[in-house]
Amino acid sequence: MSAGLDEERDERLAVAAAKGDRSAFDALVTRHRRAVYRLCWSATGNPADADDAAQETFVRVYRSLPSYDPARPFGPWLRKIAWNCGLSVRRDGNAGVPRVSGSDAPEAVDPAPGPEESAEGNEERRRVADAMAGLPADLRAVMVLRAVEGLSYAEIASAAGIPAGTVMSRLSRARERLLAALAAGSEGGS
Amino acid sequence: MDCRETQTLLTAFHDGELPDADRARVEDHLRGCPECGARLAGMARLDAAANVPDPGPGYWDRFNARVLERVEREAEGPKAAVLRPKHGWMRQQLRYLVPAAAVAAMVMAVVRYGGLHPGAPAPAVPPAVRGPAGPDPAGQRVAKAEREPPATEKRESSASARRVPEESLRVAEAPAAARGERTSRDRAAAPAGIDALSPAAESQVAEKKESASGTRIAEDRSAEAPAAVSLGKSRSKAGPSPLASVSPRPALPCELARTQAAQGRWREAETAQRACLAQDRSAPAREKGLVFLAELLDRQERFAEADAVIREVDRQFPQSRPLDLYRQQRPMVQKQPMTVPGTR
Repeated sequence: MSAGLDEERDERLAVAAAKGDRSAFDALVTRHRRAVYRLCWSATGNPADADDAAQETFVRVYRSLPSYDPARPFGPWLRKIAWNCGLSVRRDGNAGVPRVSGSDAPEAVDPAPGPEESAEGNEERRRVADAMAGLPADLRAVMVLRAVEGLSYAEIASAAGIPAGTVMSRLSRARERLLAALAAGSEGGS
Repeated sequence: MDCRETQTLLTAFHDGELPDADRARVEDHLRGCPECGARLAGMARLDAAANVPDPGPGYWDRFNARVLERVEREAEGPKAAVLRPKHGWMRQQLRYLVPAAAVAAMVMAVVRYGGLHPGAPAPAVPPAVRGPAGPDPAGQRVAKAEREPPATEKRESSASARRVPEESLRVAEAPAAARGERTSRDRAAAPAGIDALSPAAESQVAEKKESASGTRIAEDRSAEAPAAVSLGKSRSKAGPSPLASVSPRPALPCELARTQAAQGRWREAETAQRACLAQDRSAPAREKGLVFLAELLDRQERFAEADAVIREVDRQFPQSRPLDLYRQQRPMVQKQPMTVPGTR
């Protein structure tokens, strides 16, 4: 199973993972971890909660693999779980439950930017990222799913559990706010 | 097409999600409108710059191992999966909840059973002073030895529950052997003497479940009946959800779970419920506690995990009545998982 995992379809990997093939599960995690993290970030708005939700997503995926139907595409199923995890973590945060303290939190999140961001990390990207972090979660999520993940409205609707029309209106509002925030930032900075 | 109409369609146009007819109209407008053209260009620039800060290669290097470590931990067995905190966040929560629960359980054991004995004097010293709030061996005996009091003892009023009579402390400190055959079972029971509520009491608790006050819930227990449970009846009074009806004694995480569930804070409630279950508990309380956990998982649409918990209940408690009742309600819970009980 380990040979050619990179080319294997998600659904087949999921079936193998459900049968106990850890390398297949590992391949699925590697393949989708960044997208899951981004989706969780879009739901939570901060890296610590995004990490928590991303980890939880894959644990839930593993637990749920026995009930996964390989006739259904894996991506939307995974995104749905990730979205729910993100929302769940966000609810916890909003509820005022003691959060993981800074020193304990996501042992993993590296404060330094990744190579991708370093290479392309121009001022505009940073400003856009800051502006996106300031969006309400529902707007931020559709923006990430569309602009970063490149999902169609139907796919976003499925992941976020909202009608396609709502996807469009949220995207429109998200872009308006972001453009306004960036314009305000430019004026303030100049 | 004017600017206003164009701008309502511009997002979908930009995303290629507009029907052909509308697309052509927008294109027509854009040819003669630099303002809308600039807006479209702004969207394109925005999308090109949109990103999520990447946590860095060090993070990704450890990511899979951390996931697999948690998966391995859970794969140790269904019992472990059901009862253990699964990952960082929950472990962090339990770091605070478990010690707090232990202290609360010990204090509540003294408070609760302190005034059970007829003729017991009123407390001369408040529970906070006499109660075993630390690692005092005598205090632990209080908690353990008094877990399953006789049925009549459970009818005490909330006022008497606050007493800490000398006699109860003497009983608590008596050698275990003096308590007869029940002793060994007592040791395996819950620190806070968890058991079921009567239908009436459950109904009362259900009515109060919106309250975040543990005190109020504790006071409601003044109507508690001896032991046996009739969850079905109480649920029909309290509403469709079993959340309100499976009510443990006032150990902190158990109450937390209930209060948070009543507020729709499912994940937190799950964490608290796991902490509640992680305590050494009596069989009836454990049975209902696991059913409650299954519902909390269903509420979070974690159906496969809920299935695993239900299988565990089936295994440990064949013919479980609480489980039968929950099974009847489960389709509704799964259909409207986020609905807070009582608001349906």
